[in-house]
Amino acid sequence: MRNDDVNSNKIDWDQIHRRLDEAKAAIERGFSLDPEEKIKVLKQRAKLLSREAERIEEEEGQLEVVEFVLAYENYAIESEYISEVYPLREFTTIPCTPNFVIGIINVRGRIISIIDLKKFFELPEKGIADFNKVIIISSDLNEFGIVADNITGVRSIPVSEIQPSLPTLTGVREEYLKGVSEDRIVVLDVVKILSDPKIIVHEEVGI
Amino acid sequence: MGMKKNELIKKLQAAFKVEAEERLRTLSSGLIKLEKTPAGEKYDEVIESIFRQAHSLKGAARSACLPDIEKISKALEDVFSALKCKEIRISPEMIDVLHHVTDTLTDLAATPGSERPSVHGEQVSEIVEQIDALSSGKRVSETRPVEKEPEPVKPEVPKDVPHPAQTVRISLNKLDSLMLQAEEMIQAKLLANRHKSELQDVIEMLELWKKDWSQVANETRALTQVIKRGEKPATQEKAALVSASKLMELVESNQNQSRLFEDRLLALAKSAHQDQRLIGELVDRLLEDMKDVLMLPFSTFLEMIPKMVRDLARDQNKNAKVSMEGGEIEIDRKILEEMKDPLIHLLRNCVDHGIEKPETRKKNKKPKAGTVNVIISQANGDKVEITISDDGAGIDVEKVKKSAIKKGVISREEASGLSGEEALELIFQSEVTTSTIVTDMSGRGLGMAIVLEKVEKLGGEMSVESRLGQGTMFRALLPITLATFRGILVGAGEQQFIMPTASVDRVVRINPNDVKTVENRKTIPLNGQTVPLVRLDDVLEIPHRVRASESELIPALVLGTQEKRIAFSVDQVLDEEEILFKSLGNQLSRVRNIYGATVLGNRKVVPILNVTDLLKSAVHVSPMASGVAVRAQEAESEKISVLVAEDSITSRMLLKTILESAGYQVKTVVDGLEALTELKEGEYDLLVSDVDMPRMNGFVLTEKIRDDKKLGDLPVILVTALHSREDRERGIDVGANAYIVKSSFDQSNLLEVIKKYI
Repeated sequence: MRNDDVNSNKIDWDQIHRRLDEAKAAIERGFSLDPEEKIKVLKQRAKLLSREAERIEEEEGQLEVVEFVLAYENYAIESEYISEVYPLREFTTIPCTPNFVIGIINVRGRIISIIDLKKFFELPEKGIADFNKVIIISSDLNEFGIVADNITGVRSIPVSEIQPSLPTLTGVREEYLKGVSEDRIVVLDVVKILSDPKIIVHEEVGI
Repeated sequence: MGMKKNELIKKLQAAFKVEAEERLRTLSSGLIKLEKTPAGEKYDEVIESIFRQAHSLKGAARSACLPDIEKISKALEDVFSALKCKEIRISPEMIDVLHHVTDTLTDLAATPGSERPSVHGEQVSEIVEQIDALSSGKRVSETRPVEKEPEPVKPEVPKDVPHPAQTVRISLNKLDSLMLQAEEMIQAKLLANRHKSELQDVIEMLELWKKDWSQVANETRALTQVIKRGEKPATQEKAALVSASKLMELVESNQNQSRLFEDRLLALAKSAHQDQRLIGELVDRLLEDMKDVLMLPFSTFLEMIPKMVRDLARDQNKNAKVSMEGGEIEIDRKILEEMKDPLIHLLRNCVDHGIEKPETRKKNKKPKAGTVNVIISQANGDKVEITISDDGAGIDVEKVKKSAIKKGVISREEASGLSGEEALELIFQSEVTTSTIVTDMSGRGLGMAIVLEKVEKLGGEMSVESRLGQGTMFRALLPITLATFRGILVGAGEQQFIMPTASVDRVVRINPNDVKTVENRKTIPLNGQTVPLVRLDDVLEIPHRVRASESELIPALVLGTQEKRIAFSVDQVLDEEEILFKSLGNQLSRVRNIYGATVLGNRKVVPILNVTDLLKSAVHVSPMASGVAVRAQEAESEKISVLVAEDSITSRMLLKTILESAGYQVKTVVDGLEALTELKEGEYDLLVSDVDMPRMNGFVLTEKIRDDKKLGDLPVILVTALHSREDRERGIDVGANAYIVKSSFDQSNLLEVIKKYI
């Protein structure tokens, strides 16, 4: 690529195609490595495999999270999935829903359901919480609000600092956890929560 | 598998679009350069560059499965190759044709994937022919210029529009958000209505007040006369006369004053009326236009049908082809989205249960391949009719009846009295399924009943016709746009709900003496019929509100038709309003008995009830032990009343529920200032207060209470998130009786503490 091309925002399609062709040719040629090289590669792979799966995926990454308080515990979720934080002043309860569904709120004309994660996680009841905030989280397929007592801040946590946590430590089942940061903040796996079929309410009237 | 491949192709095509845009731009600018300096020194360089663009475009089109673009690009490549080798010479006419071709390619590439070879295949070959003519060196004048006129990618543009209006691309998200805002404007309309009627009420009140005062004026006049009648007024009477005339003056000035008020009020009411009309018109028009913007042609849905039907048929070793009509007809995008699953279900039914295996069809002298017809047509009014039909086996009415009898939907006698058409309608009842016909519940979990439910929810109608051995036709009549509808606002338990007016047979007031218990179920007489009576709060599984008096008339809504009518008693029938349906979102995908929600004029969010579900739920409802309500009533008189001050709505509701279920009468307020006002006005036995509140916190509130003569002894329990020792000490210092920390809160603890102080 020429230097002046680097600055222009043009995509060099020819180069992309050339690379694709090279890759294709390489695949077609098949693999033939000398034994020494092979062992080296295999060792490297073994080393990678012996580590935590998550950390391979996001090596050296930073996780931007929003920290919040929920019933006297500190949690964090990735800000990427937060569409907004909304004050909870009023809500409407919906009959015939599971107990983790608090109700619905009107966010600029759209109805958003709000959920008590503590109940969803089946954590023991402890004290009363001041749910003053709704954190609206969304993915392509799902969207709802989770209630929080307070938002304490936004920050970046190096992914490498997030330790896998024992569920006994947090009470939250492992499937919903991304891990625990060095200062003991529980990082929730928001993708898992959003895509968990158990959180979707879909009930017919039984016959 | 099929889906994955489709998705891959979609992605490739999206990438292609970006790439093609760039390449075609370079190609065009190359052509322009050639045009300006046909034999310039850079001629070779330019030709080489555009040749490469055409070549790469061809390759990219092939990998993105766009055969038309590939063909045209290949033809272009050939021309440029011939130019490169100097086999032919460039001419202005040639450049013209090449420009046209480039433009056509740009159009095609702008919407990759919507290529429909049948639509413009002919045109493509025409273009290719012309370019080929160029490269073979024929004189350009022999070729016709490429017609660009019939937009190849937009076959749905109506022919009577000579110049299609200019368009811009806007992201769907932005449009949706605009639509939501436009919908929110309905509240402005409702508010204007409300203001108008409230003003009207005030005018009526003033009217009554005026009457009272004119009465007073008369009395005063009479009084004056009585005093005057005395011949020689004594000093006392003189004084009385002065007072009387002063009183008269006051009355008169009062009357003048009230006349002034009345004038102002009338003027206000008039302008409120104008506002209401104006806002109403503006909002209606805005919504109308917004809906128009969000219309989508059916073709976006129809496109996926042929492949789906073919795959479905192939899986079952059947042969089926599809014929479709009316793809150009437009409908609200939301309706189309909602209808997607039901329509797919109907199509599935056609293939699964309608179309027979080839051998059966052969035996019955039918063509080997079955046909599924999908016809979209404009119906009267703002409606669209969708018919989905097949030339398959048809529905065996006797089997439907048998299944319905077996499931207890109808009795044997009823079944024998049904006409063929009436019996067919039974397939829309969720209980009725026969293996050979309806409901493939294993598929998407959608039965015919749910298809019907969806259609009705959208304000449409559904019907079915079938002839045994000849085929089945489903017909759905749908509104083109999502309209607002009328709903009855009712109160049940502590909540409000909307009941769609269209589903309500009638609203009645029941005399409690008319309620008879038949076979352990409550019933009421209604036009000579006995109709079951249930409580809406029972059906919705929500706690009862204590009814004021047992002898009062109970309002109830009668739902359902004919023999299936059920009366649902409520606490109040509040209003009838124009409402707009809103879904509960993806997380609450389907809730029993609740359809969706709406936002009222006062911004309150209220759930909309699902009548079909309610009728089903009513059959299984276990009436809450009536004894509970009675006991609550007995306790009423001696209830201890507690005031709860708490700013967080959830904590407030929790405290209220705990205290109420313990038998206390509870009133809630949101901050210290409100609490103080409420305490001064009402009679309370105890205060439970949060510490951290806006305007006036719990400490200050407690201090003020202790300083007040009347309230001084009121027991105060502070409930708080703070739990440092200083806080506790401060709480005791200001005079709180007890101090409960939220983090270690539990309900028995609170109740015990309360008992100590009452």
